[in-house]
Amino acid sequence: MQPFAFSTLPIDTARGREALADPACGGYATFEGWVRDHNEGRAVQRLEYEAYAALAEREGERIVAEAVAKYGVQHAACIHRIGDLELGEMAVWVGVSSRHRAEAFAACRYIIDEVKHRVPIWKKEHYVDGDSGWVNCERCAQPGDHESHADHAATPAPARLHGQDHAHAHAQSHAAPDYSRQIALPEVGAAGQRRLRAGSVLVIGAGGLGVPVLQYLAAAGVGRIGIVDADSVDASNLHRQPLYGVADIGKAKATVAAARLRALNPEATFAVHAERAGAGNLVDWLARYDLVVDCSDNFATKFTVNDAAVILGKPAVFASVYQYEGQLQVYLPRADWPCLRCLWPEAPRDGLVGNCAQAGVLGPVPATLGALQAMQALKLLLELPVESAPALHVFDLLGMHWRTLKAARNPACDHSPRELQTDAIDPAALELEFPTLAAARASGLTLIDIREPWERAMDDPAGRIEWHLPLSAFLQGSTALPREGRYLIACAHGVRSLALAGRLRALGFTSVYSLAGGLAAVDA
Amino acid sequence: MKKITLQYFAVLREQSGCSEERLETDAATPAELYEEVRTRHGFTLPLSMLRVAVNEEFRDWASPLESSDRVVFIPPVAGG
Repeated sequence: MQPFAFSTLPIDTARGREALADPACGGYATFEGWVRDHNEGRAVQRLEYEAYAALAEREGERIVAEAVAKYGVQHAACIHRIGDLELGEMAVWVGVSSRHRAEAFAACRYIIDEVKHRVPIWKKEHYVDGDSGWVNCERCAQPGDHESHADHAATPAPARLHGQDHAHAHAQSHAAPDYSRQIALPEVGAAGQRRLRAGSVLVIGAGGLGVPVLQYLAAAGVGRIGIVDADSVDASNLHRQPLYGVADIGKAKATVAAARLRALNPEATFAVHAERAGAGNLVDWLARYDLVVDCSDNFATKFTVNDAAVILGKPAVFASVYQYEGQLQVYLPRADWPCLRCLWPEAPRDGLVGNCAQAGVLGPVPATLGALQAMQALKLLLELPVESAPALHVFDLLGMHWRTLKAARNPACDHSPRELQTDAIDPAALELEFPTLAAARASGLTLIDIREPWERAMDDPAGRIEWHLPLSAFLQGSTALPREGRYLIACAHGVRSLALAGRLRALGFTSVYSLAGGLAAVDA
Repeated sequence: MKKITLQYFAVLREQSGCSEERLETDAATPAELYEEVRTRHGFTLPLSMLRVAVNEEFRDWASPLESSDRVVFIPPVAGG
């Protein structure tokens, strides 16, 4: 007999018993579920069952096989009715035979619980008052279920197929989300769900991009997720990182995120790395995952993630946002596929691209890009094509444009594993604080204003610092600064000056410093 | 004169004050075109820090420009 079957005819329990009989067995346990005359306080007259048969049979067979393996029983089977059933009719039958009774009872219980929990079956209740409504039976108490669910984890609010207003009240907690709505997709199916469960993803950064990535991957049933973030929750994060709440301010993001995600999906495993991803740890971490999703907020980390992915031959899903815009790029470990360095041969230095002021952002911008990253990551785990050709996708959510810019392997980028960038010089060693410009001058350092001419004209027409060398001139290589000098460079808020000081140190300037906080932080 | 549609992203959009413009130019390559608009808009980023896409495809800075090309200058962004 088939381990799991649907039947449009009344269930023949005698045949079932016969099929499971075995001289080696000392026990036989069965369970019967009946159509009862009430549900949720409404009088029920009859029921109709419908199933997504192909999917449901596969899942049912898997459950029976699991029970046999888990409890070591000899034989097990389950039959579920579909079609119209009258009150008192048997809706489901489970039979188990085994050497000893304890395993038979346990396996029987496991099968009926899991069938209710996982197999996509819907029932239409016809009420005595003439009304009717479809109810998703998965994890939803069925007619004839006289057992309490309180001692096992199952049963969320049922998905209603048609909007009837009598809500089921399910107070029990669950072991895992119900994946039936994604399993129902032909591209996912039960096999895809198994791939997700066997899959593992390392997520770098649990901020604006990382929050939706983590939520959707955990919710989809990805089996193992690594969360890398060294930061603590800040009040200014919440508008775009709603996984956190005001009570989390000051707590480590990775730790809080893991707790929230465990509540979302207790079945998944979460590894917390509350430290900064860098050349020293990333390869070791990523070696234990199928792929990496880069949700970091700085170039140094992005390129380190790229290099680790290239070295290990793992896919990487990158995204970045800037105000209303976002960029999305997937790296695949294929000879014809460009990496991040193919596109950006000169890895940008943080702080040198963009403005000094903290870039503003609306929450849905990183949320959109993060959701797209989660989509690409799920496709990778499901072994679906990620995209037809390598590309950088550029989104403008203010103007509502999405450009797909075809990218190719850069012949000048050898893709071979290369030395990971070492971490930049400790910013603390580059920054100097002064209460006033006079104090800065008294220290013997030569002050240089690197703001752009338009900023200086607008904010400081008198030119508090005589020597003016705009950053853009530095970047274009059109300044010749003697290396032996001792410099204090200043910009509006100290972001660009810090980046430039790091760059100049790397170029051999031994005594160059950045004015901490920029000109905004010093009194005239 | 070639008629080019130009699109700006990120800091280039901020500095130019527009996300798109149509212009007529004698620039033979994206590099020449960038130099032309860089001066006009006061772009601070050097060409070496940007990428250019022409008609939805990444191109070399020295590749030829044609009339009615659609050009996008893209700076790298890192926000997360």
